[in-house]
Amino acid sequence: MNPHTTPVLAISLALGTTITISSNHWVLAWTGLEINTLAIIPLISKSHHPRAVEAATKYFLTQAAASALVLFSSITNAWATGQWDITQLNHPTSCLLLTAAIAIKLGLVPFHFWFPEVLQGSPLMTALLLSTLMKFPPLTLLLMTSKSLNPTLLTAMALASAALGGWMGLNQTQTRKILAFSSISHLGWIAIILVYNPKLALLTFYLYTIMTSAVFMALNKIKALNLSTILTSWTKTPMLNATLMLMLLSLAGLPPLTGFMPKWLIIQELIKQEMTPAAMAIAMLSLLSLFFYLRLAYHSTITLPPNSSNHMKQWYTSKPPSTPTAILASLSILLLPLSPMIHAIV
Amino acid sequence: MTYFVFFLGVCFVLGILGVASNPSPYYGVVGLVLASVAGCGWLLSLGVSFVALVLFMVYLGGMLVVFVYSVALAAEPFPEAWGDWRVLGYVVALVVVVLGGLVLGGFVGSWGFGVNTVDSVGMFVVRLDFSGVAMLYSRGVGMFLIAGWGLLLTLFVVLELVRGLSRGAIRAV
Amino acid sequence: MSPLHLSFCSAFVLSGLGLAFHRTHLVSALLCLESMMLSMFVGLTMWPIENQTPSFTMVPIIMLTFSACEAGTGLAILVASTRTHGSDHLHNLSLLQC
Repeated sequence: MNPHTTPVLAISLALGTTITISSNHWVLAWTGLEINTLAIIPLISKSHHPRAVEAATKYFLTQAAASALVLFSSITNAWATGQWDITQLNHPTSCLLLTAAIAIKLGLVPFHFWFPEVLQGSPLMTALLLSTLMKFPPLTLLLMTSKSLNPTLLTAMALASAALGGWMGLNQTQTRKILAFSSISHLGWIAIILVYNPKLALLTFYLYTIMTSAVFMALNKIKALNLSTILTSWTKTPMLNATLMLMLLSLAGLPPLTGFMPKWLIIQELIKQEMTPAAMAIAMLSLLSLFFYLRLAYHSTITLPPNSSNHMKQWYTSKPPSTPTAILASLSILLLPLSPMIHAIV
Repeated sequence: MTYFVFFLGVCFVLGILGVASNPSPYYGVVGLVLASVAGCGWLLSLGVSFVALVLFMVYLGGMLVVFVYSVALAAEPFPEAWGDWRVLGYVVALVVVVLGGLVLGGFVGSWGFGVNTVDSVGMFVVRLDFSGVAMLYSRGVGMFLIAGWGLLLTLFVVLELVRGLSRGAIRAV
Repeated sequence: MSPLHLSFCSAFVLSGLGLAFHRTHLVSALLCLESMMLSMFVGLTMWPIENQTPSFTMVPIIMLTFSACEAGTGLAILVASTRTHGSDHLHNLSLLQC
């Protein structure tokens, strides 16, 4: 990529996100979403490979349609109530339209088909941006309107997301697709709690961001795009592979790790709201995604010495350690003892 | 005048229907031109002459010309117009969906021509958009700068997307 | 709901349905996006006329700017995907399916 383009795109990503999350008016929020969409497209199609261009096309079509739908829902609300304030979205039709539009933007389940394909076509670091930074502005809009959204619809979409994210990830061997389905099922956890406790949804999103960034950066370090590359990567970075296993188990939500905290708090909150069947259903459905996390973890550690592997060993080259990966990895493993403090801060 | 505005609105919807019914791009762009001309006349009759002018010059004169050009590049030997059965099926299906939505949503009973056209309040009333769009340079300068940044960003994005003649797997030309 | 409001709403819904259902060409999909934007423009212009708010009339101009940005990016994507896929048919975009 042209060295002059990269800072412009980085500034625009920051600008678009900031505009959307700090705006009060629907038009300004829509502007931020548009700037974000425009700025990420050259990052997706950076390699100009046919797959990358196809991913950029799919991303562009879905996101442009979704942001037009956001604006349409806000204008429907404005015709009915005269309000352009984001928090004043009261008209039921426009609430439904907004839920659909944000679901398209995020990739919640009836509208999730673009997400794995776009992630598969883009480079690993752009995939990291797509599953964390690009989901933040739409999620903020959903948080700001969470008072007037339809809880039944959101719960149904959340359960479907957790189910399909886990189910469709079972059959994948590409790490980016697996992480895309993991993102979809995590969005299910965020969406199920959104109406009842928006702070908790935000906390879940932050922790998901930390964990998935750590996993993406570790995979980027060992250049692992499918499972067999992970299998043979212990010769390059043995410590990182061991940590990668812990990060994946944290993403799955196993108890002594960070990922357990949002699941624990969400199930507690759902039971408080007398939604025990939904809590039980989403907890059982996350077992599906536990399967593919376990498979990734198995591939990352089972071939560590002293076992011998049948694969050709890759030559050990000394890689410089990466500080952000280390910080994110330790955060994504060790944060559970701090959960009362984090819960109080967010 | 009210009926004229209503007629323009119907023309607008018919133009959009012409785009949405999935004909060949040749004819789709004709539908979009029809819709934008009808929309321009519609806004003009409602009394926002400057915004209508912007629609006419920027949208129809600038963007749609580029679209027509691209459509001409993507031409196919046997284009399908609205007379074809497939496109006609789309037209019927879309109309049925929209009318069904109107009936189900209960919008049919509550019609009324509550429209203020230009001649109902006189030609010499102060126009809203003359003062309103000018506020883009004073109070709305933040939005102005953001829109300008968006255009600059688009320049970089477009140049980056179509850069590199030797890139890609298959060459079309 | 006045007839004008009705016609802009149905125009948006029509073009959205046209985008969502079967599209043969990428250009047709971009045209549908443009018609969505056109109906939004008309709707955003009619809102300040109904409510007599002059300051809101700059919003359709800003929206038109960003829809021009979107149209430009869409056409650039059209050029790029025609180069890599050989044509602009949407059913060619099947390299990434699960």
